[in-house]
Amino acid sequence: MPIVIEPYREEHQPAVEEFNQRLRSGGAEPDLVFFRFAKQRWLPPTEGAGLYQEYFVALENRVVRGGYALKHQDFFFADGITRNVAYYHHPLSEGIINKSYAAVGGMLLKDAMNRSPLLYCLGMGGYDRPLPKMLVRLGWAHFPVPFYFRVVRPKRFFREMQALHTSPSRRLLLNLAAFTGTGWAGVKTIQGLQRLRAPRPAPFTMEKIEDFSDWIDPLWERAKNHYAMTAVRDCQTLRTLYPASDTHFTRLRLRRKGNDIGWAVVGERRKDEKYGTMRVGSIVDCWASPEDALAVVRAASAALVDNGVDLIVSNLSHLLWARALEHAGFLNSPSSFIFAAGKNLSALLQPFAESQSRIHFTRADGDGLPRNF
Amino acid sequence: MTLTILDQVRGVASDLFGLPVDRIRAESSPETIEAWDSTQHLNFVLALEEKFGLQLSPEEMEQMRNVGEAARLVEDKLPRDPR
Repeated sequence: MPIVIEPYREEHQPAVEEFNQRLRSGGAEPDLVFFRFAKQRWLPPTEGAGLYQEYFVALENRVVRGGYALKHQDFFFADGITRNVAYYHHPLSEGIINKSYAAVGGMLLKDAMNRSPLLYCLGMGGYDRPLPKMLVRLGWAHFPVPFYFRVVRPKRFFREMQALHTSPSRRLLLNLAAFTGTGWAGVKTIQGLQRLRAPRPAPFTMEKIEDFSDWIDPLWERAKNHYAMTAVRDCQTLRTLYPASDTHFTRLRLRRKGNDIGWAVVGERRKDEKYGTMRVGSIVDCWASPEDALAVVRAASAALVDNGVDLIVSNLSHLLWARALEHAGFLNSPSSFIFAAGKNLSALLQPFAESQSRIHFTRADGDGLPRNF
Repeated sequence: MTLTILDQVRGVASDLFGLPVDRIRAESSPETIEAWDSTQHLNFVLALEEKFGLQLSPEEMEQMRNVGEAARLVEDKLPRDPR
């Protein structure tokens, strides 16, 4: 039977459930499941909105053999044009458990390319995963979005950080570091030195706000030309992404001498076994002209420290934002958060090696908002 | 001399799979060309789209089980000569 790809509708839900069941019993990783419901809980399509999601399923007769999602969003480019770009995410193919369906992965991606010529992927869990491997072979332009962390409570960090506890001897050393205070001293020294070497931002004020309002738009307009590519961050977009009803986010407004210079959204991540029982805060999203990035990053960190987190993490792609994280005492670590641009999109970013450092991507540009927070 | 569509498709396959064009036949398929896996299949489709200036659907992509079928599909999609 030929395979056809269609928008995911309510009538497909039982077949999606069966698909998920087959993946589970076929030994796929437990988090590899397609959306149970056809109606998007996050960013459903609404009349005239540029920011929305669509789901698609690959059907063989009436059996689901795969699916994927597109998140459409307006992006501003260095040529001054705003274009709608789609983020390809959650591709799942029966090919991961049954080789007869090995072609489905490519068909899903081709379908997405036909529907949205400007396409990107983000995250993906590292270059050893099947999707980034495929994208690299297809000639997509790519780079890992730098990952940064700042340890707020070293004792808990050394005890809880599961990724560090890879062997019994290492576990013993880390426990010693936690209990004797040597770990605390080491981390505080490194982070402190970075902050000492950093330039001092001019004085600014930070205010926690309940909702984003009109002051956002002039700030967006003033700063957008500094970026080679950035998701539109105007007031309407921010209200869609971070509605006032979502109290999990902390929204910060930064001003200097009464003028708005930037904003940040921070939040505490869901529990994740790799972080043990630590409370992990995240700089989810942020905006400013790059020269004010340090002020924004410092304010965001301070807000998370006030909220009582043990560790702060962030992925920011722009070179000056990444440098601001370093100046704020963050440490760099290998990143599995990969940005890959399809050929039409990367053509807008040529020369890619130069544009790469001026692309503004944050954790908010993926699918992570509802999943990780 | 004008190359037939099949010859042109064989040329695309030859470049992509790194084989001399005389080893690419209409019957050549993923079963006979080792480098022709699912990712290269997508690359093949994209290369044909670029070469012939057309767009192929995922369903058509699935129908291309060998070089000959790919050439037939391309031929069907190309605008007919009005003469």
